[in-house]
Amino acid sequence: MGQHSPMSTRILTVEDDQRIRTAVRLALEEEGWDVEETASGEEALEAFSRKPADVVLIDIMLPGIDGFEVCRSIRRLGDVPIVMVTARSDSHDVVAGLEAGADDYLRKPFDPKELSARIRALLRRIRPDEGRPVRIQIDGLEILPDAGVVCYAGEDVHLTRTEFRLLVELATHPDRVLSREDLLERVWGYDYFGDGRLVDVHVRRLRMKIEPDAANPRFVVTVRGMGYKLQT
Amino acid sequence: MADVPKTDDISRLGLGAQISVLFAIGGLLVSVLLGGTTLVLTRRQLLETRGIAAAAMAVSNATRLSNQLTPESSIEDLPTIVDSLTRIGGSQRIIRVGDDWLVAPEMDRADLPPPLVARLGQRKPGQMLAMVRGEPRFVVGIPLTAFDADYYAISDLSEVERTLDDLSYVLLGTGAIAVTLAALLGSWAASRMLRPLRRVREAAEAIAGGRLDTRLGAQADPDLDRLSDSFNEMARALESRIQRDARFASDVSHELRSPLTTLMAGVGVLESRREELSPRSIIALNLLVADLERFNRLVNDLLEISGFDAGVAALDLTEVGIARFLEVTAANAGAVALRMPDDAHRVVVQADKRRLARIMSNLLDNAGRYGGGATAITLEIDDTLRISVEDDGAGIPVGERSAVFERFFRGSAGGRRTDDGGTGLGLSLVVEDLRLHDGRVWVEDRPDGRRGARFVLQLPLPEGGA
Repeated sequence: MGQHSPMSTRILTVEDDQRIRTAVRLALEEEGWDVEETASGEEALEAFSRKPADVVLIDIMLPGIDGFEVCRSIRRLGDVPIVMVTARSDSHDVVAGLEAGADDYLRKPFDPKELSARIRALLRRIRPDEGRPVRIQIDGLEILPDAGVVCYAGEDVHLTRTEFRLLVELATHPDRVLSREDLLERVWGYDYFGDGRLVDVHVRRLRMKIEPDAANPRFVVTVRGMGYKLQT
Repeated sequence: MADVPKTDDISRLGLGAQISVLFAIGGLLVSVLLGGTTLVLTRRQLLETRGIAAAAMAVSNATRLSNQLTPESSIEDLPTIVDSLTRIGGSQRIIRVGDDWLVAPEMDRADLPPPLVARLGQRKPGQMLAMVRGEPRFVVGIPLTAFDADYYAISDLSEVERTLDDLSYVLLGTGAIAVTLAALLGSWAASRMLRPLRRVREAAEAIAGGRLDTRLGAQADPDLDRLSDSFNEMARALESRIQRDARFASDVSHELRSPLTTLMAGVGVLESRREELSPRSIIALNLLVADLERFNRLVNDLLEISGFDAGVAALDLTEVGIARFLEVTAANAGAVALRMPDDAHRVVVQADKRRLARIMSNLLDNAGRYGGGATAITLEIDDTLRISVEDDGAGIPVGERSAVFERFFRGSAGGRRTDDGGTGLGLSLVVEDLRLHDGRVWVEDRPDGRRGARFVLQLPLPEGGA
């Protein structure tokens, strides 16, 4: 997790519409990113395994293997931030995209500046916090925020960048309830009106990885009507 | 529109009333027929019996008279003989001996029907029903063949008439009861018959109210079953047509999203290279940016509204702390006062935050476009939750207060221009978004009596408040 200066950051885009693909590439290059564009899921997976990108932008509606499958495949290859692009506005696509491993999503049509802002937010390092301990240990769960390491029962737990930031935010204030809005702002850089489902799906993904029993969470617990907290 | 033509007066009544009237008419006809026949037959029967009795009596009296008469008997001897004869109540007699007549107290020989007198002139007995002194009477005439004499008996039939009168009253009474019963039976039958029609009406109203999947159940009666099949067929056709239209709008909006994405990205590139453009190109770019933004909003609003029309709009419910929500909303809206009760922070509702935010932004946007900007947002909590947005613009005329929520409504009041940059769908989306939340919205005067509009949205409060 090094500092990302835009020029060195590579974005892989998957979009079957040639005009959108070109326009989005131009707009992203204008923001200073280095863009590699692909027209199908197969092409994208091939390009990614040849040379992993720093961020992947995936359109869900693709000919051949669809965006969800591309997302899952890339997620298996690494913890690179993934942004989904949906054309449909219904809830199903959003939740399915997040569960397939996407870190964030955008609806078409989107403002290219907004896309750059989302990418920058996902590439951000964890927020520096003077009061945060170097090492947080709760009942077999061990977090080293600055080293980017999480262990449970002595074994390394592999988290994506976003999952890790979410866990660190919760762990910085153990036993304090953080609302979805707080977490959206701290982890994703959204304002109050961000989509709370980002938090919910990421909490679900996090629990699958760190909880001994994801259905009855020991660490990340839901506080009804308020939000989430890390329980000591 | 093909209306079924009205044929006659009775069809102006409701079907139920028509059936009742027809039943009553049927009851009346049957009563009249039965009553009339009964009266006629009874009358004939009574008169016949009476006639036979009177004739027999007359024959026996004539025989007795004949036996007591002698050739020397004069008219003066008759009264004593006559008094000994058998009489039926109300009957009177007239006797001719030679040229003399013994008349009854109230009768005269002139009252005798001439055909009968003529018949007796030929020495033949006769009997007939005749009007005597204004009343129907039965007259029997018997010639006393041994003498030059005739015996006439005149029976009063008023008793028969009285009996018949009584009978006709009874028949009238029962007839009236029968007609009433028939009408009641008719209305009962009508309501029974119309019950399936009522179900059809309720189903039609449900469809008109937007529940397009309403269907009628199977009917026991084959005719009604056909009706219900046709109705369901119509409802299916209507539903698929409406969905097709809504889907079309939705498809069009979707299709517009791809070129819009290209346009926004392309315009974004131009914007970041603004300094390289000539002044004229910058003016063109500004126009492009402004209308692209409006186009984008329009496509989004159309997509949303077609979602409502197709019935696919669904809530993504999350817990929303209403006080925090309004604080952020008011802060983003600029110079807007926020008034909330002290305990507002305890209220958490289950709502779709995205839709709730859109409701507020549409109301604030509307106030900004037509009301000179929102001045206050007020939260009131009692058994429901009410959020109002006030402005101090021209207000909304009473006559336009419901029309203002219609799609593409352009009011008559000043300040509403066609180039105001709005999509014309904002307030209709507010209505739909609130309906999805079981809430509603209306517009009223400002409670402080000052100029301006006050849009109030009302949401149900969860049980227990929080």
